[in-house]
Amino acid sequence: MIHWPGHRFALAAFFGVIAVWLVAMFGIMRDAALPADAAGIMLVVFEPGIADDIAFAAIARANAKPIRKTAFGFIWVVDGNAGKLKAEGALGSYRNLPISPEIAGCVAVADAKVAQAFGL
Amino acid sequence: MITSKSVPWYFTPMIVLLAGCAVAIVNYGVRASFGLFTLPISEAHQWPREIYSFGIAVQNLMWGIATPIAGMLADRHGAARVLMTGAVLYCLGIISMALTTSPLMFHLGGGVLVGTGIALSSFSIVMAALGRIVPPEKRSWAFGLATASGSLGQFIFAPLAGALLAAYDWQFTLYVLAALSLLIIIFATPLLVQNTASSLASADETKLSMSAAIAKAFQHKSFWLLTLGFFVCGFQLMFITVHLPPYLAEFGISKEFAAIAIGLIGLFNVAGSYLSGVIGGRGEKRIPLSLIYLLRSLAIAAFILLPITPVTTLIFTATMGALWLSTVPLTMGLITVMFGTRYMATLYGFVFLSHQIGSFFGIWLGGRLFDQLGSYELVWWVCIGLGLFAALIHLPIRESRAASFAVA
Repeated sequence: MIHWPGHRFALAAFFGVIAVWLVAMFGIMRDAALPADAAGIMLVVFEPGIADDIAFAAIARANAKPIRKTAFGFIWVVDGNAGKLKAEGALGSYRNLPISPEIAGCVAVADAKVAQAFGL
Repeated sequence: MITSKSVPWYFTPMIVLLAGCAVAIVNYGVRASFGLFTLPISEAHQWPREIYSFGIAVQNLMWGIATPIAGMLADRHGAARVLMTGAVLYCLGIISMALTTSPLMFHLGGGVLVGTGIALSSFSIVMAALGRIVPPEKRSWAFGLATASGSLGQFIFAPLAGALLAAYDWQFTLYVLAALSLLIIIFATPLLVQNTASSLASADETKLSMSAAIAKAFQHKSFWLLTLGFFVCGFQLMFITVHLPPYLAEFGISKEFAAIAIGLIGLFNVAGSYLSGVIGGRGEKRIPLSLIYLLRSLAIAAFILLPITPVTTLIFTATMGALWLSTVPLTMGLITVMFGTRYMATLYGFVFLSHQIGSFFGIWLGGRLFDQLGSYELVWWVCIGLGLFAALIHLPIRESRAASFAVA
């Protein structure tokens, strides 16, 4: 009698796929990270939990123009300079995305933390 | 069904199921990201949006038309071979999208080739393979798993392609998607178990020829009811997909929030599809199917009758997400109950064609009536009425083997 898997298999497969997807997203976002001299419309991420007004003030101090705030207050789309934004407290700046800035932004936070830790 | 333990590791149940899920994820996922290329491709070639839109419309049309043909090929030659052929067409079509120099080339490549590739490598073909490989008591669960995988593919590929577009350029992104679609060839390999001696055809399968089986199915009242029901499914889903964001905008809900709300559909769709497969395996399938259509109608009615706010929008999209592709495992399950597994891909192909025709009307009628009336109100009520109609017509479906498909 052959044993056919059940719900545990389905759950493990689900989390396996999500894990592979996260690794892929992480790698791609690393490549989407902007150097300090980059300027233009970009996705900028701050420390999660930052208040909207503090993020907005940091963007203003960096002479950047907020294009839009995403559903998460720590992820913004702005027109500015990556180096200046970083100097004002941003974790990192990334090329703008056509879709899902929230999901990409969360991956970007992890990427920015790793980049910070390893001086990338 | 896999009947012997002496099969190679790549034909073991777990690998076969994983392979089926992987095919569904890639097939549905890659397709779900094409909307992101509207702007970059149109801008690169200085085309009006209509050219890209027409190519994608052709793609969807080809997907619908080619699905019954893909089903016939799968029923005759085995699902794995069809999936592999589909992967090659899918890949070539995507490459031609990247290399296109003229609208005609785009319509043939991104439209005809990709549409045919999607049909040949779609999860309905995966389900046909799983339907024959897994034992009857696990069949509905496997259908749910394959459908949930397709839904998961839709949910994860769009952000992935978006990130690729941000990190690289649109042509490179298309090459990556083309390469990913080729993975279907590898993923489909374990499904070749269907073509081996260790996978024995069930003794109670019909001995009818394919043409006779199609003719007999179309003479069966329950097959028509199922086909009509799937038309409603296509109508409702595509109307909501295309017209919900502009409808929400009328109530001051931002594009960004609408995108999140639609993302929620994808997430709840994964759970809903899986659960419906589980429920379908525990008893009658027509009752839960009827309930899904009834609940859709109730959800739509509540949504449009209550004040539209971000909270009601999220509740609506989560509810619709849970009911989104949950019709698929039950519909496929009913086909196998009524007609067996021998021609399930072919017969599901015809039912799916009706779904695509419904999709067309959902998109087109939504726009047409909005232009004429300046409101989506009437189309929402059409969705509710059709949902109630579908809920009713599934009740008389006879959930037993059709007489002409029974084996003495």
